[in-house]
Amino acid sequence: MIRASCLCGDVRFEIGGTLSGASHCHCSMCRKAHGAAFGTYAAAKAADFRIASGAERIARYRSSDGIVRTFCARCGSTLQWLRESKPEIVDVALGILDDDPGVRPDRHIYVASKAPWHEITDRLPQHATYPDAK
Amino acid sequence: MLRGSCLCGGVRYEVAGPLAGALNCHCSMCRKAHGAAFRSRAGVRASDFRWVQGEGLVTWHETSAGTHRGFCRVCGAKLLSRFDFEKKWYGLPLGALDDDPGVRPGMHVFCAYQAPWFEITDNLPQHPEWPPK
Repeated sequence: MIRASCLCGDVRFEIGGTLSGASHCHCSMCRKAHGAAFGTYAAAKAADFRIASGAERIARYRSSDGIVRTFCARCGSTLQWLRESKPEIVDVALGILDDDPGVRPDRHIYVASKAPWHEITDRLPQHATYPDAK
Repeated sequence: MLRGSCLCGGVRYEVAGPLAGALNCHCSMCRKAHGAAFRSRAGVRASDFRWVQGEGLVTWHETSAGTHRGFCRVCGAKLLSRFDFEKKWYGLPLGALDDDPGVRPGMHVFCAYQAPWFEITDNLPQHPEWPPK
């Protein structure tokens, strides 16, 4: 069981399985939404994902076609990145995790849009955009 | 002049003066608030900061005594922190900037609370909490 919660504690998630495919995303939308150098997400199976409390607090913003980003309406914590075409997957912002997910980010994506004030110094693969784009 | 804006574009601000003390904060409150590995922020003089558009869209949440973090209620973008105990300065998350601020984060703070899934690999000084004065 991996638990997650927002800063004010109103929204709580429980993930029964494992997380996979953790990536640091440097796209301008992630940087804006998080107000940070980059966002880091990993995927949970929707079947393993449960909103333990605060469902009514979750605000949704459609940041591009078919993509919904969620945040806590009370404290602003960034929570999820959801693809409307893939409801079986929930991408969770790792910053809200209360437990160690075990998984570690293994790549940087959208590095072409990276913040000028942030330098990547690790050895993970860097992709200009999204490597799996079809 | 530095410009910043939220993800949906409803809120815009301008900073007329220099940013100070840019750093990366790994405390659990910053990680939760941003939903990120760490928060990159700088200090901005309140007198240099101006909301250009959408100030009414900013929701403020008091995350610890006297510290209020502001975000856009439409898109959730993290925009500014203000302090009841220090009215002359704001805390500015760098992620919402549209322009290069010139300054670069100069240290990591609250590394004792760093996310277990994130490793710091740069050469900046790392402090377990605030650096000694």
